[in-house]
Amino acid sequence: MSDLSHAVRIRRMEKFYGAFHALKDINLEIGKGERVVICGPSGSGKSTLIRCINKLENHQAGSINVLGTELDDNLDNIDEIRRETGMVFQHFNLFPHMTILENCTLAPRLVRKQSQAEAEEIAMAYLTKVKIPDQAEKFPGQLSGGQQQRVAIARALCMKPEIMLFDEPTSALDPEMISEVLEVMIALANEGMTMVCVTHEMGFARQVADRVVFMADGQVVEEAPPSEFFDSPRHDRTRAFLNQILGH
Amino acid sequence: MVSILKQKAYRDATNQVLFVGAIALTVLTFTMVGRENLEAQGITSGFGFLERSTGWSISFSLIEYSTSDPYWKALWVGFLNTAFLGAVSLCLATVLGLIVGIMRVSGNAMVELVGASFVEIFRNVPLLLQVFFWYALLTALPPPRSGIDVLGVIFLSGRGTYLPGLNVTGEVVFLAVVALMAALAGVLWLKSSRRFARRSARDKKRLTRGLLAGWLLLAIVLFWIGRIPDTPLLNLPYLKGLNYRDGIRVPPELLACIVGISIYGAAYIGEIIRAGFNAIGKGQTEAGLALGLTTWQIFTRIRLPLAIRAVLPTLTNKYVWLFKSTTIGIAVGFADFFMIVSTSINQSGQTLELIAILMGGFLLVNYSLAWVLNRVNDAIKLKGNQLRM
Amino acid sequence: METVYREPTFVQSLKTRYFSNLWDSVFTLAFAALVIWIVWNLFDWGVLNAVFSAENRDLCAHGSGGACWAVIDARWRLILFGLYPFEEQWRSAIACAVMVLVAGLSCAPFFWSARRLAGLWLSGFAIFYVLMRGGVFGLTPVFEQRWGGLSLTIFIFASVSLLGMPLAIAFALLRRSELPWISRTMGLVIDTIRSLPLLTILFTFAIVVPFVLPDFLIGDKLYRVIVGYAIFFACYQAEIIRGGMQSLPAGQEEAAKALGMGYWYRIGYIVLPQAFRNALPPTINQFVITFKETTLVAIIGFFEILASGNAAYGTSEWNFAHVEVYAFVGMIFFVFVFALSRYGAYLERRLAVASR
Repeated sequence: MSDLSHAVRIRRMEKFYGAFHALKDINLEIGKGERVVICGPSGSGKSTLIRCINKLENHQAGSINVLGTELDDNLDNIDEIRRETGMVFQHFNLFPHMTILENCTLAPRLVRKQSQAEAEEIAMAYLTKVKIPDQAEKFPGQLSGGQQQRVAIARALCMKPEIMLFDEPTSALDPEMISEVLEVMIALANEGMTMVCVTHEMGFARQVADRVVFMADGQVVEEAPPSEFFDSPRHDRTRAFLNQILGH
Repeated sequence: MVSILKQKAYRDATNQVLFVGAIALTVLTFTMVGRENLEAQGITSGFGFLERSTGWSISFSLIEYSTSDPYWKALWVGFLNTAFLGAVSLCLATVLGLIVGIMRVSGNAMVELVGASFVEIFRNVPLLLQVFFWYALLTALPPPRSGIDVLGVIFLSGRGTYLPGLNVTGEVVFLAVVALMAALAGVLWLKSSRRFARRSARDKKRLTRGLLAGWLLLAIVLFWIGRIPDTPLLNLPYLKGLNYRDGIRVPPELLACIVGISIYGAAYIGEIIRAGFNAIGKGQTEAGLALGLTTWQIFTRIRLPLAIRAVLPTLTNKYVWLFKSTTIGIAVGFADFFMIVSTSINQSGQTLELIAILMGGFLLVNYSLAWVLNRVNDAIKLKGNQLRM
Repeated sequence: METVYREPTFVQSLKTRYFSNLWDSVFTLAFAALVIWIVWNLFDWGVLNAVFSAENRDLCAHGSGGACWAVIDARWRLILFGLYPFEEQWRSAIACAVMVLVAGLSCAPFFWSARRLAGLWLSGFAIFYVLMRGGVFGLTPVFEQRWGGLSLTIFIFASVSLLGMPLAIAFALLRRSELPWISRTMGLVIDTIRSLPLLTILFTFAIVVPFVLPDFLIGDKLYRVIVGYAIFFACYQAEIIRGGMQSLPAGQEEAAKALGMGYWYRIGYIVLPQAFRNALPPTINQFVITFKETTLVAIIGFFEILASGNAAYGTSEWNFAHVEVYAFVGMIFFVFVFALSRYGAYLERRLAVASR
């Protein structure tokens, strides 16, 4: 079939909200083990793009291929892709009526059919990794925002995905909690996880990203390695955006 | 002097004393005038009349009652009738309401339309009208000789609906039903409580089966003890002459009330449950989808539990309100608590005492109902104050 | 490459909305069949085979297989106006129309100030009362005992609302008083009354209260029942208003205090207007429920619309026509209540948008 050196391959993808053209002719390829940061002004479609990858949003034209599986209306394909991709949301979206441990073991038990003991072992390992193993029996409402987001990352990791998608993971956090979450993401990147990150944290991008993609008005304007991107952007739009973001 | 009046503390104290005093005075005046008026009519006050026998019969009773029984027993019969009507109607309304609520958030446009029509039709017409309607319909059924026959064991007629039953005493049936509710509650608790989450699925299945088998055994023992002698166990209605014999007769008044209150309640409960689902952020569903859970799994494990937690306080209010609406029985002649009290007032004249008993009865049930549901709410409500939903 | 956006065709949107997967299609077809069957039978019974005119009563009685709307044709005056004298029924009709107009106008934002609303309702009610009661302006007097049907229902509803609303505000203010004795006593009173069935309260006021009141206070049974219902309404509405006040940020009253506004100014200009705005949807719901539950007075012997409906088919010539009469009365309620609750939903959406 297709070669599997890419994690995500998007070709000529278009998305409409009714008559509004949200994403225009997107062409993007993300290789295995690559870390890609997507940035841009609000309304540029970056969240929409990342949500198309695991079919939380539907695309109307073009093709999206994730780990060799084509993303179409076939439910089996969608399920398979969702098993192999993990997503971290801006507003955490932890299940408030379940403990932290239950949040992490729910999907492995139901989807990967693991036993309770197996799932708990894996969950505790990841919770230790994100440095909150002691909170396992607490409820999401009892944790701070930073802790909740770290749990959300652990929850996604418990499914052992091949790709991790981050949709503005630190935008809803108080400033003092951003670094604890970024730490976890950097550690994840250093282990070789394929990551697609929508974020405004340019320091993170500079440190971790293999490529930075700039989007505006539903189109990919520029993509380049961080050094090139930050020091010598090619387009005026990019320059203007960087001035705004980094200027103050 | 004036400056003292302007002192806030002094004024506050005076206001409070005046307020409570005014209320106390009013209540006192009412009691005294009431007593005067009743004495003028030769009616003694006090609760002694409860020991007197009533001399009148009651059309529907769950326990044995005869015309020579005292007033307190008549009131107890009425109370049991109301409790029975309330329990049955509330259960049916909950089940039906859950179905309607789920229909309204199902995502299928046709199903949602039917659910919405149901809610709008039955919510916007007064309950009394609905009960009258069902009563008129049920009494317009053909007489027993040409009654409607369902499967040969259930008969519908203008004189009532006849269901097959068991020839056992009422107390035994009550105990069996209570034990069944306890067993079902136990099974529910087993499946959802954290305490049992770590047990394996096989263990849980065995425990469930054990609970249900235990109930069956208990039921058999109870029915053995409570058998009415010289009768077969199964009590099937059959047509004899102009009427049906045996079987459990459900009078049209009772059935009309049950149907009316259940459907009216279901319309309201369905709306509340829909509001509960709508109160859950989209993010919960998206997180479930992103993790690879199926729609059904997301619905039963995430959306439904959260919806119930969101609306339990509102549901509690609605249940209390629905229970109060059982007083509608008097309009169609069902011998509920209110009707027995008003008949007693007519017959004995002990107005104030009986009204006090009536209010006391309803206060008791409503406070208990609210207390139980509030405890459940406290047990399952979402913990913590850092919720981002 | 340019992709042109094409509006989904009618067939395509039908497909996504109703037939997106197998289960969806099954449910759609099954429920559609159910709906069609119900609607067809209703149409058949209610329109195609129905008898509309009163002269054709005999057709009905021998089973035309359809609805016998003839009973409405013969008895509508009874249902709408009760036993009001025939020549004066036009007054009753105009009075009802006036109240409906008042209710409709209350929905217009123009009237959304305490003064205008109060003025609108008080003048509307006065006109209603004068028209119904007569005795002035050359109108023959018609006493309350002869009022009935829809006009009695509307009268009770309007009186309860007019009396109950100020009571509700008083109860709410007392309930949230800073003085513990007052707030707790009021809380006890409100909770107790809310735990009691409305029917028992109406019954108590109708039958029991004459025993405990000194003679000069007893008054007419109708007005006693209205007072009782108004107190019940006030307890529920007080809790709704209190909820509206609680959702007000504390800063509002603090700002008013800082500006030197006294208690009544604060309450009247800052707290209550905003509390009412917050509590508007539940308040409308409360009015809707109040209107529906006026039917309960039929049990205590008042000849409101449900009782007059029962009387309409209660005679031997129409006693088979119960379904049609109930359907007619039900439709009257449905129209009023549905309109009001739709308006409430619309308001809720509009207020939610405004607050974002």
